[in-house]
Amino acid sequence: MEASIGKFFESVGTFFSGGDSIPWCDSDIVVGCEREVAEAEKGSSDELKSECLLRLSWALVHSKRSEDVQRGIAMLEASLPRTSDPLQMREKMYLLAVGYYRSADYPRSRQLVDRCLEIAPEWRQAITLKKSVEDRIKKDGVIGIGIAATAVGLLAGGLAAALARKK
Amino acid sequence: MDSSSGSEFDYLFKLLMIGDSGVGKSSLLLSFTSDSFEELSPTIGVDFKVKQVTIGGKKLKLAIWDTAGQERFRTLTSSYYRGAQGIIMVYDVTRRETFTNLSDIWAKEIDLYSTNQDCIKMLVGNKVDKENERVVTKKEGIDFAREYGCLFIECSAKTRVNVEQCFEELVLKILDTPSLTAEGSTTVKRNIFKQKPPTDEATSGCC
Repeated sequence: MEASIGKFFESVGTFFSGGDSIPWCDSDIVVGCEREVAEAEKGSSDELKSECLLRLSWALVHSKRSEDVQRGIAMLEASLPRTSDPLQMREKMYLLAVGYYRSADYPRSRQLVDRCLEIAPEWRQAITLKKSVEDRIKKDGVIGIGIAATAVGLLAGGLAAALARKK
Repeated sequence: MDSSSGSEFDYLFKLLMIGDSGVGKSSLLLSFTSDSFEELSPTIGVDFKVKQVTIGGKKLKLAIWDTAGQERFRTLTSSYYRGAQGIIMVYDVTRRETFTNLSDIWAKEIDLYSTNQDCIKMLVGNKVDKENERVVTKKEGIDFAREYGCLFIECSAKTRVNVEQCFEELVLKILDTPSLTAEGSTTVKRNIFKQKPPTDEATSGCC
C-alpha cells in the first residue's frame, strides 16, 4: 500500500519535473562524502580537502532531500568568494545553479547558468540545466495563468451571484 | 497533456559509461542520443540521458549514466554502478594508458561496485576516425574482451560509425539475459530509476 502511494507521488513528481535530466543522488552517497570530508579534515593537503568538499557539495545539491540541497547551497555560497581558480569557480557556479534549480529558485538558477555559459558556451551539462530551468519557468507560467484564470472566474462568478441577489 | 506522461515501454534499463577522462564517453552518449558530436568539457560528477528505442521488437527506455572520468570524482561515480544492467567501458584507441587503465582501474571498479552479477559489460574503443594516430590494435581489444568476458566494438563518436550498434548489441544481450530482463520489467522500473537494486541486501554483496 505504502509502496503504491509512493509510486503515485513519484509519477506525479516526474510529471511536474517533465522527465528531469539532472541526476539524483541518494542519501547514502551524501553520507559517504561527509565521511570523506571528516577524514580529510584530519590533516590532508588543502587540495585533497577542497576535492572532498566539492564532491560533498555535488552530492548535496543533487540530493532528493531539500535540507541537503539547502546545505549544499549554503556551502557553495560560502566558498565561492574564496575561490580564485577559474575552473573551480565555474564548477561551483554550476553546482549552485543546480541547487537553486532543485529548490525551485529558477530565476537565480538561470542567472548562474547563464554566467557559466558565458565562460564556456559549449558546456553540455550547463546547456541541459539551462533548458530544464527554462522548461520549469514556462511550466510555472502556465500554472500561474491557470491560477489567475481560476481566480478571475471565481471573482466573476461571485460578482454575478451578488448582482443576481441584488435584483 | 505532455509528452513525458505518455511513456509506455516494455523495459527500463540502466546503462553506465565508465573509462578515463577524455576518452569520449559524453561524446559517445551525445552522438547516440542527439545525432550530434561536439568537443565537450569534462563531466562534473555524473550526467544522464534517457532515450527511448525499439530494439529486438521491444520498446525500451534506456537511462544512460555518464560518469566523470577524472579521478577526483571517483568516489562519487562509484555509487552509480548499483543496479546497472549494462556497463560500457570506453577507451581511446589513440591513447594507450586509457586502455591499460581498463584492467588496472575500471575492471576492478566494476568488481567492487556493481551489484548485478549478470550485468553485461561492453568494451568500446572510441576515436577510430583518427586511424593514423591509433596505438591500440583491434586485436588487443578483442583479446581483452575475451579475457574479461565482455562484448567488444570499435566506434567513432565523431563520425558516428558503430555508435548505434554499440548500444544495440549491448541491449540485445541484456534482453537475452533472463535475470536482467526480470529486473528491467515494468513492475520494478521505478526502483531502478532510483538507482537501487531490487533487493536491499544486494547493496553490500560482491560479485
